[in-house]
Amino acid sequence: MNSADRAVTKEVPAKGRIVTSRWKRQVLTYLMVMGPGLIVMVADNDAGAVSSYTLAGAQYGTRLLWILILLLPMTYFVQEMVARLGIATGQGHAAMIYKRFGRWWGVFSLADLQLVNFLTLVTEFAAISIALSSMGVSPYLAVPVAAAGLIVIVVTGSYLCWERMVIGLCCLDVVWFALAFACKPSTAGVLHDSIVPGLPCGLNSALVFLIIAIVGTTIAPWQLFFQQSCVADKRLRFADLKWARLDTFTGATFTILVACCMMMVGDLAFRHHIPFTNDSNAAQIANSLGPIAGRFVRNGVLVLMVNCAVLGTTAVSLSSAWAYGEVKGWPHSLRKKVTDAPGFYAVYVLCVAAAAGIVLVLNDRQLQAIILGVQVLAGVMLPSAVIFLQLLLNDRELLGDEFVNKPWNNVVNWAITVVLFGLSLILAAQVLVPKLFPS
Amino acid sequence: MTTMARQVCEYYVIHPLDDALEEKRTGEGLSRMQMTPSVRLSLLALRGYLILMTGLVFYRVLDLCGALAHHAVH
Repeated sequence: MNSADRAVTKEVPAKGRIVTSRWKRQVLTYLMVMGPGLIVMVADNDAGAVSSYTLAGAQYGTRLLWILILLLPMTYFVQEMVARLGIATGQGHAAMIYKRFGRWWGVFSLADLQLVNFLTLVTEFAAISIALSSMGVSPYLAVPVAAAGLIVIVVTGSYLCWERMVIGLCCLDVVWFALAFACKPSTAGVLHDSIVPGLPCGLNSALVFLIIAIVGTTIAPWQLFFQQSCVADKRLRFADLKWARLDTFTGATFTILVACCMMMVGDLAFRHHIPFTNDSNAAQIANSLGPIAGRFVRNGVLVLMVNCAVLGTTAVSLSSAWAYGEVKGWPHSLRKKVTDAPGFYAVYVLCVAAAAGIVLVLNDRQLQAIILGVQVLAGVMLPSAVIFLQLLLNDRELLGDEFVNKPWNNVVNWAITVVLFGLSLILAAQVLVPKLFPS
Repeated sequence: MTTMARQVCEYYVIHPLDDALEEKRTGEGLSRMQMTPSVRLSLLALRGYLILMTGLVFYRVLDLCGALAHHAVH
């Protein structure tokens, strides 16, 4: 039995917290375990997600809410496998791929992850630059300050310090509920569109791309690597699995609800017939909403866009640093000081600094190409990443009967993999043959 | 370690970072995962697909950036 989960009979270590009832023990244990699941899910609502969801609302109203609701179980089941694998092995995802599938797949997974992550980071800093420019702050000030802040929150040498700061940023996302409320969506319409699937205006090129972008931004490859490494770094115990699952489910539910709020904010532009294309971003939508909904909504969207980009940046950069450290065999932990894990922190700082620097020199056309590249590469990578996850979770030799997938897990997760692969192929086909669907 | 006596039926909760290390299933000593020929073949096909798609995406992004001047997309 785990020491966190047993009744006191004789002596208590000085660091243990004493509670007098069973439910208090459960609440306290959950609060102590909470973190990796919540952070990975909320960070998933990054700058790209804000743009995708608000744009979906601005172009199609709340008609695509049902997709977000469907994504809740999908994202939970995928991330639950990651949490289980992290708790069982105490190691990150990159390390496990390297060990169980060999050098080629280890190096390829790492290289692909680093590439997609770096391009994603560029889009995060682009969002910070665009949002703060709309508020009158020069990108040459905003981007370096954001990058410096992102480095400072990680180099404290304390996992708990980083986790608490990031959970604080995650909590800011509750403001999306106030913004959605301020936009006065139709309750009946929201409920209807959440339950009844429908494709507004039929299937066309822009809609297909948007749907794939929504799916791709809700379940991203870096999330698999991030949560497993985070669980390992936090040293979650076998007995913590049920709490880690609850953490993941809570995070997934919160994130999907926030995503729905983003779509409802965009819906206000749709109801006022403000036209947007797939190239539009959340800052443009926020600026167009200013005269209609007031400064609270406009500035709220812009500030939260920066917050989402900051959360996304720290999570994506850490997933890169953890993965690189695992494969290279370097010390890789937020519990270590900079001097004790120089390679790990160097990768983090390099990712953040290089992405921030690139944003300041690229033009709009090049940034747009990178955003497209991120979406496509993530879409191509994700199904294969989930396949490896599935294979690892069926590795009885490694995990034993306790942690290996049950038959129903396999049915659900292979179904998810098939859906993701189908979307990936459509995305790939559409990029290669842009006129595949009617425009 | 500093300890203190407590009554029966009280519970204590320890943060994961303060608790004793568990022995994990690290896979040390295991060889590479055993796979059936069909799984191995599927992974080989996946490898080809990923290499091809990564190359195509790169080409497309460079094209959109205008790096391939002879064939820029407008």
